[in-house]
Amino acid sequence: MIKISEELFAKIKENVIKGRRNEKDEDLEGGSVGEPGVKELIEEALEGGIEPKRLIECINDAMVTVGKKFETGEYFVPDMLASAEAVSVGMDVLEPQLSKGGIKKEKFVVATVEGDIHDIGKNIFAMMLKGAGFDVIDLGTDVSADEIVKTVKNEDAEIVGIGLSALLTTTMENMGVVIEKLREEKLEKEVLVGGVAVSNEYADKICAIYCADAFEGVDKAKELAKKRG
Amino acid sequence: MAREIKKGFMGGQYKPLSAYDVGRIHETAFRILEEIGVQVELKEALDIFERGGAKVDRGEKIVKISSELVEEMVESAPSKIVLGGREKENDLVLEGTRVHMGTGGAALNVIDVDSGEKRKGTLRDIADIAKLTDALDNIHFFVRPCIAQDIPIDDLIVNQFYAALSNTTKHVMSGCDRVEKVEEVVEMAELIAGGELRDRPPLSFITSWMDSPLCFATDITKVLIEVVKEGLPVILSSAPMTGLTSPITLAGTLTQLHAEELSGIVLTQLINPGAPVVYGGIPSMVDMHNLRFIAGGVEFGMMNAAISQLSQSIGLPNYNSAGITDASIPDIQAVYEKAYSICQCALSGSNLIHHAAGMLESLLTVDYGLYVIDNEIIGMAMRGVRGIEVNEDTLALDEIKKVGPGGDYLRSKHTRGHMRTEFFEPMLASREERGDKAIQGLGGIRELAKSKAKEILNTHTPTGIDPEVDKRIRERLNILM
Repeated sequence: MIKISEELFAKIKENVIKGRRNEKDEDLEGGSVGEPGVKELIEEALEGGIEPKRLIECINDAMVTVGKKFETGEYFVPDMLASAEAVSVGMDVLEPQLSKGGIKKEKFVVATVEGDIHDIGKNIFAMMLKGAGFDVIDLGTDVSADEIVKTVKNEDAEIVGIGLSALLTTTMENMGVVIEKLREEKLEKEVLVGGVAVSNEYADKICAIYCADAFEGVDKAKELAKKRG
Repeated sequence: MAREIKKGFMGGQYKPLSAYDVGRIHETAFRILEEIGVQVELKEALDIFERGGAKVDRGEKIVKISSELVEEMVESAPSKIVLGGREKENDLVLEGTRVHMGTGGAALNVIDVDSGEKRKGTLRDIADIAKLTDALDNIHFFVRPCIAQDIPIDDLIVNQFYAALSNTTKHVMSGCDRVEKVEEVVEMAELIAGGELRDRPPLSFITSWMDSPLCFATDITKVLIEVVKEGLPVILSSAPMTGLTSPITLAGTLTQLHAEELSGIVLTQLINPGAPVVYGGIPSMVDMHNLRFIAGGVEFGMMNAAISQLSQSIGLPNYNSAGITDASIPDIQAVYEKAYSICQCALSGSNLIHHAAGMLESLLTVDYGLYVIDNEIIGMAMRGVRGIEVNEDTLALDEIKKVGPGGDYLRSKHTRGHMRTEFFEPMLASREERGDKAIQGLGGIRELAKSKAKEILNTHTPTGIDPEVDKRIRERLNILM
């Protein structure tokens, strides 16, 4: 049993690193189609009675490796995203078991602010958050401050933070509006801001946390989750 | 990873001459050889020309060659030549528009990699630059970069070849100005190549046999004849300078040079029909303000690119120059002049582009850091030569359909499948925002290149010559390192 689970862990890691979500995915060399991906492997592990907590540790281990490959330049952004996507699929399989066990995932709200329809950066951030094990509520693009406030209110207890994105200097100002409205409603949530137009100075001015890119955003989200305990 | 751009891609995208222009130059060169002729002092060469059917005036030492004889001899020269590396993966196949780039010489000075000071070149420099070349993926062959001024003249040729051959597995080329030294070099080549000397020779000779305009240089012609008799590949190097040793016009220079090359080709084929000979035209310029040699001007690249067209039109592999700069320090001028001519010659489909790495100060000096920078420039140029691949997969209609309007391609398999090979990945270039870090500018990249060069010299170990072979070389020749 122990040997079998070790083998399974190794396979899960390998497939997270390769970014193979399920058996339909090919690996980078175009092979592996038909072999189990992260989804099938996690299902198999759960059926075999392996604890969800240990599977999460295994996934985290794999993502640390992916992060290292990214830092050394061996992995490019799309490789990271593929791995994050594979993790996200695995987490969906794990979700019911985690809920049953009373384990709740940290929530994060993300949105591109009102007036702005640019979502590539926001989507990368959302996917990387999922890959890091967060439950992501993605409100999409051109989202009004009111809608963001409403969502935060409804989900309040589990929310770790809010990530706002804007590409344009003109729409960036709406980030400040969101924060003002959150404070009016006494919602003391940390807000991460990012996007081409956003600067450290602007983030300081509106009392938000500046993230130079999606990867820094994920690091800061993790810090927030840790602080929250 | 696309940091290494493979050698031998087909160029030919850049054509400074029209097909009609090429024809006119060719016909005019015929008239030069028929009506004016070339001057040849060496009796052996005069005899060869006469026996071969050229019109020889022994009194004036003038050889006139009919267009029929030229055409016949050009036909006899091979259109494909393989130059070997000590490792087979470094072999160069010279044919058509296949592009290869290498170092060049022969500089007198070296910028010391540690002190940054200019000093005289040594045998150690040849060994070290060979080692550097061995590690830099985009430099495809090695021409002895500087003259080793710490070696007695009698031992110079053999030791320069040895220093190069023992430190890189890429093909090695050098000049040889004394006929009695050819035998020693061939002996070394034979020992290294084993039984494969004629199929994939690890070294070849550059013979600057032509004293433009239209004069055979006697000593080097002796070397040329000797090498051709040995059946080893030879580069017919001629470098007339506009307004000084060739007409001031680009077309006139090309025409005279073409005639010079044809006269050399005729000689080689009369000696040894089918001898591997490379059309080595290096049209150059002088500054009419002061008569200094210049090679960083745009016309240099234009003329050298035209050399590819002229040699291709007669079906012979070619050799030319690019990457020379007239700047005396590795500054902005140095890199734009280099990048410009390297691109021109690469895109014209030159088979052996020498001087493409390391050169500074109109060929007087080489600089260690520049080899690393030029490796990057060559990589970009070779990516250009490789061109834009168009097929079902690269057109990506299925992907465009899958992603749809408003989506992104970051998460598509197609992206992951191509992103490592579609783009040239620079080793040095900074693509960071101008942020808190000190503004790098050109000084930054110079320092980076220099430290990369040092790192390679400290860590790279080229595959050496087989110890048994090395022992035998040392038994027979006076190796000083």
